[in-house]
Amino acid sequence: MSKNVKIAQLSCGTEYSGIQPEIEAAAKQVNAEMVFADVDYDDIARIEKDFGLEVASPDLKLLMARAKSIVDGKTDVDAVFVATCFRCAEAALARSEVRRYIYEKTSLPVISYSFTERTTSGTLLTRMEALTTMARRKSLLARERQTGLTAGIDSGSTTTKCVIMKDNEVIGTGWVPTTKVLDSADEAFNIALESAGIKQSELDALGTTGYGRFLIGDKFSADLVQEEVTVNSKGAVFLADKQKGDATVIDIGGMDNKAISVHDGIPGMFTLGGICAGASGRFLEITARRLGVEITKLGDLALKGNSKNIEMNSYCIVFGIQSLVNSLSTGAKPEDVAAAACYSVAEQVFEQQLQEVEVKEPVIMVGGSSLIAGLPKALEDLLHVEVHIPKYSQFIGAVGSALLVSGLVDTSKK
Amino acid sequence: MSKILIYPTNSLVLADLVDRFGHEPLTIPQEIRKKVTSVGLDSPPLNITPEDPKIGLKYAAVEVPSGVRGRMALIGPLLEKADAAVVVSDPEATFGCMGCARTNELVNFLIRAKKIPMLELSYPTNDDDARDFVYKIAEFLQSSEVLKHE
Amino acid sequence: MEDADVSKKDVITKLIILSSRHMMPGDLLYKIYALRKDVIVKETCFGAEVSGKKEDVNSLIRDIRILDPYGIFIKERGFPIGDLRRCRATSGGGARPGFHQIEAEAATLPLMSRALLEYDMGVKPTTHEKPAKLDVDVFKKIIADCLHSL
Repeated sequence: MSKNVKIAQLSCGTEYSGIQPEIEAAAKQVNAEMVFADVDYDDIARIEKDFGLEVASPDLKLLMARAKSIVDGKTDVDAVFVATCFRCAEAALARSEVRRYIYEKTSLPVISYSFTERTTSGTLLTRMEALTTMARRKSLLARERQTGLTAGIDSGSTTTKCVIMKDNEVIGTGWVPTTKVLDSADEAFNIALESAGIKQSELDALGTTGYGRFLIGDKFSADLVQEEVTVNSKGAVFLADKQKGDATVIDIGGMDNKAISVHDGIPGMFTLGGICAGASGRFLEITARRLGVEITKLGDLALKGNSKNIEMNSYCIVFGIQSLVNSLSTGAKPEDVAAAACYSVAEQVFEQQLQEVEVKEPVIMVGGSSLIAGLPKALEDLLHVEVHIPKYSQFIGAVGSALLVSGLVDTSKK
Repeated sequence: MSKILIYPTNSLVLADLVDRFGHEPLTIPQEIRKKVTSVGLDSPPLNITPEDPKIGLKYAAVEVPSGVRGRMALIGPLLEKADAAVVVSDPEATFGCMGCARTNELVNFLIRAKKIPMLELSYPTNDDDARDFVYKIAEFLQSSEVLKHE
Repeated sequence: MEDADVSKKDVITKLIILSSRHMMPGDLLYKIYALRKDVIVKETCFGAEVSGKKEDVNSLIRDIRILDPYGIFIKERGFPIGDLRRCRATSGGGARPGFHQIEAEAATLPLMSRALLEYDMGVKPTTHEKPAKLDVDVFKKIIADCLHSL
């Protein structure tokens, strides 16, 4: 058992929202513990001047003073979790600036989160898992080349993907819609093995990721079971060949979105969004169905349209789609509707999530939705930067898994 | 003995002065004590559960942050019991239960809205202010408007 | 089980904070022991914590105040003595908000001590009117004078 990772908690309102036990339970599940930096009253009294942000809430001053104690090296921790109440504007400012401060002044992985009383340990688990992986497995995350013969399976909420890699190249792929988690994994795995022309017994190692990672990890006796944040960021910089320096990885998934700030291939700051279906790939699937086109054709259709020709009153998957349907009934062009749908998803990701990370170029977009060409185009328009889509982008999790697990292969056994 | 709500509700100085001059200070630790000694609750450290912010909906709507509503679930019962209040409008520092400025604004408003006898003071920073502070509190607590609740 | 719950709820904890020239926390502890009350006592860096049945703790507090009326300050604490949920040794280290609250207020206690003594001696506070804002015409003249002297 590896040693406990110490996660500094910088927060306001967790105890009064009744979610402190949820935070601690999520940390415990990944062998981590929440710790609180020790500061004096004088440190708190000075902090607005020292840090430069004036706040009315004393507990936010305490939060900032604790952050400074970490940056000054007075508190020894492995990672930082910044959390404040959802819908508190003052806390959102402090949370965002403290997150940036920790990221810029230390090499500690950091995540920020705004919670409600409904936040559960289950919601926090993937975030805590990613945070502890970044702290615990820095050497594994530094791996830049895939070696040997390895497989990665990404069991996502919408689709299951698998790749086989050999000596730094993808040699086989499998892609199926997720129905039953285990059956879909079996199917994708077999397709990938067949396309690579190899047998399962020949593999040196196998890694799993995605929502079904634990289940399929057990079934296939995986050597590495890893959440999507670290795996996807590794996969993205590997496939885009941007392993050195800064990068931003964006993955708009079927159920949640990831935005990750990466430096030298190692994720440092990330956000996982999952509350609103209007900011997910699901919104585009429904739009495609309404337009009577394949999801794979929606992006090209969007490129021919102009989103500004459609009035959308809501981002919501119910009411936003209703706006699109209404505009079709009043004679709007399908390409404009497709473009508006892409812009709506991109704009919500931009407004809700990209403010929580440092967007530094290159911006790499991955996951199945990156192939819906209208979506990266809409993001480019919003961010005013070029968005890179690497080859095998839709297999990102599987590639990241296969790459990382090759670092665990015991070469002496071979 | 009247029940005197103090603001900040966790103030050592105010709790001490109210007790010293013969009244019962209504303070937040009394509510915390009820929580942390409740058998059947297991939500450390304060035993505030996600149900408490829902109880707080009595004082603030759902769009108000959960931390405000959770704190109001603790402070609300004190407000309801209060016969009079002593309020420091610019306290030096308040952490924990009083660590949220939005909650504090709401509590201040609700004290005023209750229209009970109230003494409002500034936080003392020198001997002259402190003398004035103690004098005003002592006189208020011995005044007929407070004593009539005994 | 129900009885245990009731008795637990009857137990209160009070913090005794010293701002005294005559007494250190160790002396305070000795005096508390000498009163032979049925309470649990713990020395702290600010003074002591006492825990026991409400009537026992309150009776002890009355006796303790007499020892140094202007140097002893008291407030209630929500958590029982040594509660692991609030102990920094068992819950992630670092002082909790309540500690900072006391740290902040302890700095004001010498002012309060002197003010309480003077109140008991019948000293009336001298009222200080807050200075009004500077008259605009006077301010204009000052600005003009300053600019002129540049």
